[in-house]
Amino acid sequence: MARADAPKTGGKADGAAQEQAEAPRKYEPKYNWMNKSRQWGVRVPPGKAGLKLGDLNVGVYGEIPGHWTDETRNPRGAVARRGMPPVGYAVRDKAGLWADSAADLYEEAIQRRWAPATDVPWNTIEPLPDDVEHAVCQVCTELIGYANVDIEAITGWQHRMSYGYHEVKQFLATAGFDAARHFECFRKRALVNGGGLGLEGPGRVNRLILESRGGWTEAVVYLLLLRGVFTMTLYKHLERHAHNDAERFIYGHALTDKARHVTYGLEHLKFAIAHVDDQRQIVATLFAFGDGGLARDLADPVLKEALAVIFGGSVRGAVKKGLAGYGDFMRDFLGTLLAMCRYIDVPRDPARLPAALKEFAPVGDVAA
Amino acid sequence: MAKALAFPSVAWFDAVRAVFNSDERYRGAGGGRCDCVVGLKIGEAVFVLAFEGVECVSAVAADDAALVDVDFFLAMSAEDWREMITNIAENDGADLHHTLNTLDLARDEGLAASRHGDQFREDLFFRYNQTLQFFFDASARVKTAVDNGKLVKL
Repeated sequence: MARADAPKTGGKADGAAQEQAEAPRKYEPKYNWMNKSRQWGVRVPPGKAGLKLGDLNVGVYGEIPGHWTDETRNPRGAVARRGMPPVGYAVRDKAGLWADSAADLYEEAIQRRWAPATDVPWNTIEPLPDDVEHAVCQVCTELIGYANVDIEAITGWQHRMSYGYHEVKQFLATAGFDAARHFECFRKRALVNGGGLGLEGPGRVNRLILESRGGWTEAVVYLLLLRGVFTMTLYKHLERHAHNDAERFIYGHALTDKARHVTYGLEHLKFAIAHVDDQRQIVATLFAFGDGGLARDLADPVLKEALAVIFGGSVRGAVKKGLAGYGDFMRDFLGTLLAMCRYIDVPRDPARLPAALKEFAPVGDVAA
Repeated sequence: MAKALAFPSVAWFDAVRAVFNSDERYRGAGGGRCDCVVGLKIGEAVFVLAFEGVECVSAVAADDAALVDVDFFLAMSAEDWREMITNIAENDGADLHHTLNTLDLARDEGLAASRHGDQFREDLFFRYNQTLQFFFDASARVKTAVDNGKLVKL
């Protein structure tokens, strides 16, 4: 129909032509995009554990170069679109983030997930002596802080990693979610039994983690090895001294999650050291900085005293049994950390540890 | 009435596997996929369990040399193993003093060990700790006789 303000022509043929010109143009799809694939006809069969992320690394989809030149969000193996503006990824070298186990760890995290709200048997928690409840809540406060740093550090780096190494980005997404779950369950434990949150931790290691500027590998040293092994060992010892099935469940499951993070950290550092000149020495230097930060954190007596109350069963028991338990924990932590350092070919000399750590270093543990 | 199976024996582990593999509860709440080969040193006896996906796919008797090839192995005296199995049977799952983690920490030499020095494989003990706990907790539903013939679960 002619518009009201259109000039009148009067002719029938003119009207038809005008109507045709104003009719919506018919869309004719060409489906040209169907020819845009670098490799078509891929059929990856599921295995016994299902169709896993790592199984998909076949043909061009499994080509993982040492340097990822694409600066866009182009998924690995897809056809790049011309003219896409660069995103500005900071981590584009495989050596800067890779671990061969990342895809499997991602699957493991997805398959072994748990939900604090419904899986933890909260109804098994019963009133504890006031000193013990204070200690549990203080330790939970510290662990909430650790989880918060995990979340911030991981998410702070994740968006800076290029899409060419999606296995790592996906694994770290699960690690961030694990940390959120730990934040949740320790907060719940602190607020479920008549207590409350306690004093914030001193946070020197937190700052080292969050202010790592030298790359993700540096953050891994602090976050997943130094803090990661410390936290993992803490979970082990807290599970041993759990007061009920709920605490046992929380610490036991958080331990499993943390073990995955540490595994990624170990495998990444091993890979980085094998592929980057001087990386081994850099990691050793970072550990030396980290040791100092940890020693200063541990000079603050709050965590030590709270753990001693838990391990000793009371303020009275903290003095002897509790401090002995704290010593066991610290020896376990340092023994594990030094063994892991040897595994990644960065042997540490216990004699050069800060005094606050050296007193707990395993006897006879020497650098290779 | 089911016959009591002697602990430790392949028949006993097979019965535990049957319970573990058929109970979907062990696949949620932090359980799930577990891929590892675990040695068990029970006094002088050695058994090897293989976990694939969400199942324990085999249990075989072996000798000490087999412990070199497993990802990690759990070693305790026969008496300590019996105490753990008995505790699980009596409590329908390990109590707070008999979890694998607690037993690991409670002994000077630990519970989990390896002979290959590969930290990645050794750490599977902690990554799959809950699944391994679920496996042994499943033994509470197996009529068990410890090796002196005493029933621990009727």
